[in-house]
Amino acid sequence: MTGTNMRLAADIGGTFTDVAAFDQASGRLLLGKALSTPSQLVDGISEGVAKAGARFAEAGIFLHGSTIAINTMLERTGARTALITTQGFRDVYEIGRINRPDAYNLYFKKHDPLVRRSLRFEVPERITADGEVLTVLDEAAVTALADKLAGLGIEAVAIMFLHSYRNPSHEARAKVIVQQRLPDAFVSASHELSQEYREFERTSTVVANAYVGPRVSGYVTGIEHHIAADRFTGSFLLVQSTGGLYEAAEGKTQCIRMLESGPAAGVIGAQALSKATGLENAIAFDMGGTTAKAGVIYRGEPLTSSLALIGGYERALPIQTAMMDIFEVGTGGGSIAAVDASGALRVGPQSSGAEPGPACYGRGGKLPTVTDANLVLGRLGADSFLGGELKLDIGAARRAIDEHVGRPLGLSITEAADGILRIAATAMSYAVKGVSTERGLDAAAFPMIAYGGAGPLHAVQIAREIGTARVVIPRAPGHFCAFGMLFADLRYDFVRTWPVKLDALDFAAIEKVYGELEAQGRAALAKASARPSEVLTHRAADMRYVGQEHAVTVDLPLALFESADRDAIKRRFDAEHERRYGTSAPKEACEIVSLRATVTGRMPKPPLERVEMGGHDPSPAAQRGTRAVHFPDRIEPRATSVYSRDALLAGNRIAGPAIIEEHASTTVVFPGDTLTVDAFGNLVIEIGR
Amino acid sequence: MNPTTLNERPPSDAILTEIIRNGVLAVTEDMKTNLTRTAYNMIIYEALDFTVGLFTPEGDTVSIGLGLPMFIRGMSETVRAKVKHFGIENIKPGDILVTNDAYITGSHLNHFTFSLPIFHGGELTAFACCMAHWQDVGGQLGGVTTDIYAEGIQIPIVKYSREGVVNQDLVDIIAMNVRMPDRAMGDLRAQVTAVKTGERRFIELLERYGRDPVQRAIRAIMDQSERSARAATRGIPDGVYEATSFMDDDGVEVGNRIPIKVRVIVEGEEMTIDLTEVSRQVRGFYNSGETTGYACAQVAYKCITSPTDYPINEGSFRSLKVKLTPGTVVSAVKPAAMRWWMTFPMTIVDTIFKALEKAVPDRVIAGHHADLVVAQVHGINPSNGQFYIGNFGPLGGGWGAKASEDGMSATVCLNDGDTHNSPVEQIETKHPLIVEELSLRESSGGAGKYRGGLGIARTVRARASLTLNTTIERMHCRPWGLDGGGDGAGNEVWLKLDGREVRDLPNAKVLVQRLQAGDTFTLCSGGGGGFGDPRQRDPQAVAYDVAEGYVTAWEARTLYRVVLTADGGVDVAATQALRGRP
Repeated sequence: MTGTNMRLAADIGGTFTDVAAFDQASGRLLLGKALSTPSQLVDGISEGVAKAGARFAEAGIFLHGSTIAINTMLERTGARTALITTQGFRDVYEIGRINRPDAYNLYFKKHDPLVRRSLRFEVPERITADGEVLTVLDEAAVTALADKLAGLGIEAVAIMFLHSYRNPSHEARAKVIVQQRLPDAFVSASHELSQEYREFERTSTVVANAYVGPRVSGYVTGIEHHIAADRFTGSFLLVQSTGGLYEAAEGKTQCIRMLESGPAAGVIGAQALSKATGLENAIAFDMGGTTAKAGVIYRGEPLTSSLALIGGYERALPIQTAMMDIFEVGTGGGSIAAVDASGALRVGPQSSGAEPGPACYGRGGKLPTVTDANLVLGRLGADSFLGGELKLDIGAARRAIDEHVGRPLGLSITEAADGILRIAATAMSYAVKGVSTERGLDAAAFPMIAYGGAGPLHAVQIAREIGTARVVIPRAPGHFCAFGMLFADLRYDFVRTWPVKLDALDFAAIEKVYGELEAQGRAALAKASARPSEVLTHRAADMRYVGQEHAVTVDLPLALFESADRDAIKRRFDAEHERRYGTSAPKEACEIVSLRATVTGRMPKPPLERVEMGGHDPSPAAQRGTRAVHFPDRIEPRATSVYSRDALLAGNRIAGPAIIEEHASTTVVFPGDTLTVDAFGNLVIEIGR
Repeated sequence: MNPTTLNERPPSDAILTEIIRNGVLAVTEDMKTNLTRTAYNMIIYEALDFTVGLFTPEGDTVSIGLGLPMFIRGMSETVRAKVKHFGIENIKPGDILVTNDAYITGSHLNHFTFSLPIFHGGELTAFACCMAHWQDVGGQLGGVTTDIYAEGIQIPIVKYSREGVVNQDLVDIIAMNVRMPDRAMGDLRAQVTAVKTGERRFIELLERYGRDPVQRAIRAIMDQSERSARAATRGIPDGVYEATSFMDDDGVEVGNRIPIKVRVIVEGEEMTIDLTEVSRQVRGFYNSGETTGYACAQVAYKCITSPTDYPINEGSFRSLKVKLTPGTVVSAVKPAAMRWWMTFPMTIVDTIFKALEKAVPDRVIAGHHADLVVAQVHGINPSNGQFYIGNFGPLGGGWGAKASEDGMSATVCLNDGDTHNSPVEQIETKHPLIVEELSLRESSGGAGKYRGGLGIARTVRARASLTLNTTIERMHCRPWGLDGGGDGAGNEVWLKLDGREVRDLPNAKVLVQRLQAGDTFTLCSGGGGGFGDPRQRDPQAVAYDVAEGYVTAWEARTLYRVVLTADGGVDVAATQALRGRP
């Protein structure tokens, strides 16, 4: 690190660019928010940094997460890409997994490949499941093909051969040839991104990487130039979908690893907050305008997954790399409430989006949304939204709800609005409970950390449905993803499919594989511009009972390999199976499918900033008077105290009902709930019983 | 866990109905999650050959978690049969009922179906049910069976658990009669987990909102679904609509076509689907029970009237009448062979769409490949000396075009829904096989203004000797086009034995065929039928299809009447001339 002592983080989201900066000298956290500028994303970063009152010249480290990769994929604005694959398999990418989730819909549509069929090419080569070469790579065919691609104006090439996770030599060789013949093209081979079996998923992963590659690498280079011009001389690191950091230079080749960087950083923030406040487990709940997302902190660590489906389940393009395990809950502030022809009230999945937005934005939206319901019930203030920058039209909200929900169902406007929020809250609670079931966890036992613009508005209501006892609203919940980046570590994840029965496991052989994976991680760390304070390796394996299809990832401490303790590995697997599925079969044989290694370079973390200690009651400066707010316990509104978050001090206690307002968010506290401001300025809400 | 309460006002009925609608969907989703995550065999986990559901004490469907779309009716009928068998008063808390009786489930013996009565406050309030496909239930290995006794163990309606005590005798009998008892017992445990999950989650809902309000909401959900279905049916012109199609044969009497004749009567907001004139039950194992006859009609009706209305519930079908007579291929009686029950119903559903083409062309679809297109191989794996049964899951194939869209290529047949194929890399890791090719079948989609989807070809080479069985249908009776659209290619099987290509099989059924190392088999799934006159297809779309290799230039010229230039573009003048209009 250079001698400067500012850590800067910028998170580019769909609407806003959020900046968080930690000044080590003063111990202060600085925040800035700017509108994202789609044409010139870099400008949004500069503006956000300026608003935060920070400067690149003073920063020793710049952390960045961006939606550039995922937007390039979803908006289909990537490079002209070709795929080179094993003879006989160019259609794997179009065939996919053949499933029809929407089973009775004759107009169902499957995924749409990023590379059309005429740009998917085959070359003779074949490797078996054991890694043996069955057919030698036809190098002349690769050369001829590369020359043909040059003539087709190809900008990016994805290479994917069967079983390359077991033997990458053909992919590696083909990549060298293609790079020689097409020196300007972005070339990516599947084994560099995933060494896990399942050819469709790996193909989709490498194609997506190639497809977004030229644009993402250009973007990263653009930022490098921009911050260099601003006299930044420190480390420039990007946030991966795991929430871990990697070098900007790596981001230019392994672009797909930053797909979900913003949401992952939010979970890292939640992890840091959990640690500081002594929570072992937590649900990280992030709700914005169009969707809600949730991640899980379990025993101090975020849950990760090895597959993400991009673009909605039904038409998904899978990405098979390590990811923060984040699930979308489908309801946001913009979700539209509507009564269908059969008389059923539905909330979402249609969303008004940012344009035209909820009816109360006054931008042409006429349909009632979750935000309109919040306004009608007094939970949102008409004059305090975004610090008063956007005045909300309560009349428009009432008219929309009355016309589209109240009158069709014979409900008053208040009842209709209350119903919309109940339906939204229960739907989100079912989703959170459902995904925790899938992971063998009980969501009710986990405190909820709620952030994003709309998270604090709904948190206590959702918590009631789940059975959660405690909700934590962090400081600056609207900037939480940028804040989370300040707590990220350098991280390299590796996986290799390596099927072996546990009984037949050769510890020397497996040590060699783990050793290779870990050596790659250590080498990457050694090259990193940022110096980690400590290097940690972590091993896991995907395991299953012999005969099962689905494998679970089991954490395996290094000591088990040193002592070659087969029985202990089996016991850990049985225990994990029991935890996740409620059953285990200790007497049955098990097998390993894939090996996973994670190498982490710990980065120094800023301490959480403490806020000034105050009395039991909030100071008069924090009080903004009262307004009438409706809660689910009765028709009539209650006169509810409104507080200014910025003026709350540590130790302040507020009995619900209450409303806490800040620039980019509003926290709702229900009757019976008790809110305490902790030493770090977090709002800790105990749900009333 | 009791959610925290706020002395909340009970929600108004309209609100509660929507909350409970999401709630019962969540219950069946959770059941599904726990089943797939704990199942032992690929057919459950990857192929999703299961269905879970919640039912009223009368057996009416409250919510079904798919699973297998064609099993839309199976569990409901099974619950009714179980209640009738024991008498409602003899069903007690802690009971779990089971059967795999093919004539009750309407399908094959592989479908073990568990039902758990959910009691709340001492009252029976619902059943949680789970059907799942066991990989092996004993019986003849390969070949065509001609009666039920050859197909494996039959378990009548019995109690797996009686007031909390597991019937170990039953478990032991089952274990002795199946080839891979460990896996079967693993799947049994997964199913029990699933119905217990349903019980727990449903009781949570009852505790949260009260039994009466929840039951009222469930009735309201059914009423809403009924209104939707009736409204959609009113949009279909009154009339009697008929169509006929054929199956290739029953695998026993080779080449003897089997007629499928359906009649649909639409009157106001009600529809009657008359299946009394489909073929009588056949000797080969393509029969299914009456339950599946109802399912054929329900699947077709749902696709046409309320395809995206969830949960799937009884209300959606109140405006549907189904006519069946005992002893047909979809209302077979004992001892009809049922092992390949799922094949004919897909064609029956397609034939119902065909009948309704004249009435509602924009809601129906041309014929699809209508078969799982699976091969089963078994042998001894030389790497470990163990017996294995290799199943790739369905191949997927072409779907029919619609009045405004091309058909989907490479998509699983109608019997299955969110079913996944098996990755090549996974198959090769498990079994001594090499997949040589997995590709789209060029030119397999039926021509039309909208083109049918393409089928798939997969060639597999044996690395050690093995036995192959395929029982594929619809090789000769190809997926039909509608409104002037052309037929898609049929399903096919090719072999290469000792270097010799065998492509002239009389049907696509290959029974107990030994393959030596180096021999190959190729499964080809059919393409979908086209919709509308191919000469009305947008010439640019035809040029695109040729450029992408979906359609040949020759077909472009002869079927679509589109002339392409040397660089692949449309020769507008020549095309107009060929199409015979200005």
